[in-house]
Amino acid sequence: MSLILSSAPHIRTHNTTTRLMGNVLIALAPCVAAGVYFFGLRAALVLAVSTASAVLAEFVWQKLAHQKVRISDLSAAVTGLLIGLIVSPTVPWWTVMIGSFFAIIVVKQLFGGVGDNFLNPALAARAVLLASWPTRLTSHPAVGFSADAVSAATPLASMKGISLNDLLLGHVGGAIGETCKIAILVGLAYLLITRTISWRIPVFTVASAFLFNLVVSGSLNDSLTCILSGGLLFGAVFMATDYATSPMQSYAQMIYSVLIGIITVVIRKWGVYPEGVTYAILIANIVAPLLDRFIPQKIYGVIGKKKEVKA
Amino acid sequence: MKGTFRGGVHPSHKSKDPTKGVKTREYVSDTVKIIMNMNIGAPAKPCVKKGDQVRVGQVIGEAQGFMSVPVHASVSGTVLAVEPIPYLTEAPSMAITIQNDFKDEWVELHPLGDVEHVDPKLVIPAIQNAGICGMGGACFPTHVKLSLKPDQKCDTIIVNGAECETHLTADHRLMLENSKRIVDGLRAVMRALDVKNGVIAIEDNKADAIAAMKEASFGRQGVTVKSLRTKYPQGGEKQLIEAITGRQVPSGGLPIQVNVVVLNVGTCAAIADAIIDGKPLISRITTITGCVRNPSNLRLRIGTLVEDLIGECGGFSEEAGKIVFGGAMTGLPIPNTAVPIAKATNGVVVYNKHDGASVEEGPCIRCGKCVSVCPIGLNPFQIKAAADADDLEKCKALHVMDCILCGSCSFDCPSRRWLTASFKNAKQKITLQAKKAAAAQQGGTAK
Repeated sequence: MSLILSSAPHIRTHNTTTRLMGNVLIALAPCVAAGVYFFGLRAALVLAVSTASAVLAEFVWQKLAHQKVRISDLSAAVTGLLIGLIVSPTVPWWTVMIGSFFAIIVVKQLFGGVGDNFLNPALAARAVLLASWPTRLTSHPAVGFSADAVSAATPLASMKGISLNDLLLGHVGGAIGETCKIAILVGLAYLLITRTISWRIPVFTVASAFLFNLVVSGSLNDSLTCILSGGLLFGAVFMATDYATSPMQSYAQMIYSVLIGIITVVIRKWGVYPEGVTYAILIANIVAPLLDRFIPQKIYGVIGKKKEVKA
Repeated sequence: MKGTFRGGVHPSHKSKDPTKGVKTREYVSDTVKIIMNMNIGAPAKPCVKKGDQVRVGQVIGEAQGFMSVPVHASVSGTVLAVEPIPYLTEAPSMAITIQNDFKDEWVELHPLGDVEHVDPKLVIPAIQNAGICGMGGACFPTHVKLSLKPDQKCDTIIVNGAECETHLTADHRLMLENSKRIVDGLRAVMRALDVKNGVIAIEDNKADAIAAMKEASFGRQGVTVKSLRTKYPQGGEKQLIEAITGRQVPSGGLPIQVNVVVLNVGTCAAIADAIIDGKPLISRITTITGCVRNPSNLRLRIGTLVEDLIGECGGFSEEAGKIVFGGAMTGLPIPNTAVPIAKATNGVVVYNKHDGASVEEGPCIRCGKCVSVCPIGLNPFQIKAAADADDLEKCKALHVMDCILCGSCSFDCPSRRWLTASFKNAKQKITLQAKKAAAAQQGGTAK
């Protein structure tokens, strides 16, 4: 009789990479539903194109590079879906496609694939699209009309006169997945219950943006609008929590989140862009590895000794 | 307040269900194979030869120095062989095979009497002579742990009844069935070291054991029972000390540096047997579970072969893929069923082909779960990268030597990475390197 000799532990958690990514997809379902409800079939088309082209890009790259094809881990699907959810429903399908290709091939695969990218692929793609076709990406349709009919300015640029209630329900213009805050909160609850993400990053991001906005504006209403408008909540829940590009240690995660909150408000208040979440998270992504490295860990039984790690 | 520690994981404890409510039964096999290097430290030296008649409790392997304990015959009968056999270690182990005559004839015993009245000076020598080593898994010679240097002080003895590992219920059953002996063993050690505070620590998923131990320790001087939050690795020595006393053992140090000694419940019961009855350690409770027809806790003689104890449990219920000594988180797989159990074998768990199959490693997705579950506070993903690159210096800088190999990081990794295995490997390499360096230096000074 030959017995298997493999090292301990002999049991593993039920959570696999596929399952965690699947959890993210499920958590995004309410946002997808809200987006399609508010913006119509046009939104569904954008989401389908973005997701399919991300998976396709990953498949083709891994085939050509003679790597093991890992599209079944669903990470490419998550990236693709996220790209679709953070663009306007009026965006032409080929723009979304370029975004997905860029995210998967340039941002993710060229840096080593899943886990090795240092920027959030979906946000990096959005930044590139924003720089290339600024008007296409930010002209948002007014809700309730057929998608192409009326293009309003981005909601943050014309915030006046919109009630907090409308913001919460998503009865405003904006990117497909970002408008309905209730849907995002339902997704957050699912991610927390399934322990896919920890509460730290979303809570600290939103809280720090709120508090910083309160300090600079002195208005409670303005601060509530700040956290309920634009992509802040969506970014805090689905983007800032990206595994590969956020810090791993709890203190580093807190600083990273506060950084996102503050930079977002700074860009919104004083920058030329009406929306700052994308850049805030991308900047924090770059800082994340430094935070992990320089914030000393508390190791059991190691007292007063500084962590000395040479790169 | 319940004691606990940071990090850790929650593997399912359903694996304990088949055996936890079943009374322990005794099983004695036809032959036993008793290995000589059960304890950490020097192996014992065989002092019987083929054809000799031996009695139960007779010394058949003599201790070799201070870091060693004697080995006793666990059955009476005839010595069939004294030869090396393949074991879990890399090198074969010397083993003595005894044919049981089922007469159960004991050697003359020298009981020391009641633990509350025994001369405290006699306790530690009696523990060594009884061949007692840590029965929780490490098998460190107990008398060594208890022999304090002049500058060392002990103020608390913790009895480890956490049993945080999966599958195992041997300690649980012992606490229910032999509670008084555990308290007796603790008291003997408390008196030997003149310690006022003895704590029996049990995870809160074993309410019946907590109740039994509370009852048994009622009226016993300085003995308390403390419940711990159920979380793995609560029974890890360092985690247990922190949960009970709030102290942290210094990196690279021993519990005695924070004035604590930790003993397993089984070890305590064995100490009581050695003092009260004068009996050496010749049997223990082992949980036999997994893919066997009749999962059980058996009181086994040391040296019982796995094939015999599986037979006693009704045989395999499915084709066996992997057999592990110990729980699922830290257990050691055995190469075949001709291997005997030793003093520290707390469980024999049979996995089928599917559950026993080795898992394929995926790429790290940097989810950080390994960081958040590490009870020591290490960065397992970083150490793994250094270990894979064979960069031992970086492993050391990342504190791989503080890793307790609990397996929590590997358990929780969604990419199924072999984190713990690579740390074990790196630790072994670093230890070997240090030994070589020390030897080279000694050679240098000799010249």
